[in-house]
Amino acid sequence: MTALDPGRDGVPAGGGRGPGLPEPALKAAWAAVVWGLPAVVILAPLAAFLVYAFWYTDGPQVVRDFTLRNFVTFVENDSYTRVFLKTLGLAVQVMLVNLALGYAVAYQLWRMPARWRYTLVLALAVPLLMSYIIKIYAMRGVLGTNGIINATLVFLGVIEEPLGVFLFNLTAVRITLSVVLLPFMALPIFVALEKIPATLLQASDDLGATRWQTFRNVVLPLSLPGATIGAMFTFVLAVGDFLAPELVGGVQGFTYGRLVFSQFGMAFNWPFGAALSVVLLGVALVVIVVAARAGSPKWQRP
Amino acid sequence: MAATVSAEERRAPAAATARRNRRRRLGDRLVGWALGTVTALVFLALYAPILIVFLLSFFRLRRGKVVWDSFSLDWYVDLFANAQIGEALVNSLVVGFVSVFAAIVMAMAIAFWVDARPTSRAAGAIQFVVFLPFLLPPIITGLSLLIGFKEVGISRGLATVMVGHTVFVLAMVYRTILTRLQSLSKSLVEASLDLGATRLQTFRYVLLPNLRMAVVTAALLAFALSFDETMITLFLVGDTSTLPVRLYAMMRVGFTPEINALVTLILVFSIVLTLAIARVVGGRAEDLSV
Repeated sequence: MTALDPGRDGVPAGGGRGPGLPEPALKAAWAAVVWGLPAVVILAPLAAFLVYAFWYTDGPQVVRDFTLRNFVTFVENDSYTRVFLKTLGLAVQVMLVNLALGYAVAYQLWRMPARWRYTLVLALAVPLLMSYIIKIYAMRGVLGTNGIINATLVFLGVIEEPLGVFLFNLTAVRITLSVVLLPFMALPIFVALEKIPATLLQASDDLGATRWQTFRNVVLPLSLPGATIGAMFTFVLAVGDFLAPELVGGVQGFTYGRLVFSQFGMAFNWPFGAALSVVLLGVALVVIVVAARAGSPKWQRP
Repeated sequence: MAATVSAEERRAPAAATARRNRRRRLGDRLVGWALGTVTALVFLALYAPILIVFLLSFFRLRRGKVVWDSFSLDWYVDLFANAQIGEALVNSLVVGFVSVFAAIVMAMAIAFWVDARPTSRAAGAIQFVVFLPFLLPPIITGLSLLIGFKEVGISRGLATVMVGHTVFVLAMVYRTILTRLQSLSKSLVEASLDLGATRLQTFRYVLLPNLRMAVVTAALLAFALSFDETMITLFLVGDTSTLPVRLYAMMRVGFTPEINALVTLILVFSIVLTLAIARVVGGRAEDLSV
């Protein structure tokens, strides 16, 4: 890659015969890449976005004047706050359902013999490398009028004709997000379970604990950090998503992510879209910070 | 009371223990069945939708049932006649290669810098910045870049998508390279320098060969991420399109059966990529165990 690496600090200067270029210049160039590039492509855009949230539009024109009116509009307008609360509720539901399902799956895989365990863990990870949008689309084949749910119900004679009730509503979004985000929950829990030393379980067993007691007092507390990380991922991804609601949600599945996205498309009000995203960012940051605290138990904190 | 119980226990301790064990084993078995069922259902939910798409790319449906003798490759033929999709595919590949390369260069520079000062605050700060686009909802990364580009007067196109993807995959590439770098013994570098190698030579002949596997793994994973990225891309793509953006447009319009064929091809590509990654990672694990 680059010729920018002047070696490591902390290496004794004994071998410091320069590579031909003056070392201070190399060091400066290196520091410029390390600090400059992330500042330009990550921090500067985030700063621009934060500033935009405090500007406003006048027709098609963006007025570069500090104002809180975007936030006032958001708080005062019932339809915006309703969408916001609905989306928070949706993300919490998806997170809780996946916490239960993800834990069950991770625990089951963890108890399996090694040969099966890693094959199935790989099978759990493979969907992560499949296109997100394809997975959402594929859920239409399950929930739609031609989907398996309808086909099964017709086959069993529960219904005569396929029903349209499984697709294009909020429940479809719930189901789709749960399925698509499940590996994000199950994998961190599995990793946490794998880290538990076998000797701890043996000790618990030798001291006469039942399986349930071992689970309750040893396994569960030690796997909570993984569960917290999984819950964080699931919540943050669910709360900001606009693709699943757009593709399977219909009108009822109008979520906060779609509201934000529409400000950059049809509605064309970038400052308002930025302000809505600041609210989203606030929620995400609170969750990330809480998860980071809870995810590293007291005895592990420095 | 207690005396009675203990007397009974004394009389038939084996029977009582057996009874307790039987009850416990039954409970364990019930829990095991429940967990097994949930796990099977979850795997079914993960894979059944994809299998259906796969089937529907070859067969037709009538009243919710697959018509097995309707096998045809028509949708695939239609697909290859669609020039827009070919263009989108080329765009996706180009974006993938460029952003993966850029991310590796950046990640290496940052990883070396951080590895040299493991405890410094500055290193912590730079790591935090690198992880931001990975942790924040993608919608925020996307619209930040959109606003940033507009402010400096860069119009949307493939170049802006490349920047977006570089930023998005950077954290993963960085993490993979740093982990490997930190596992290398410091004495490797010291020995090389003591033997009179320049720092550039040390980098070229000592560090780079040791990092090769990490870089290959990171590149494959990053390429897979970039190839599928949709949410950030939608903000930055402008008039052109990548494959997922093209798919998104097709899906929104409604149902066109070619989608199933295209989706199947993309999935096959993803699976090949996954197997390649598994091979590389597996190979490295064997290296370590020897």
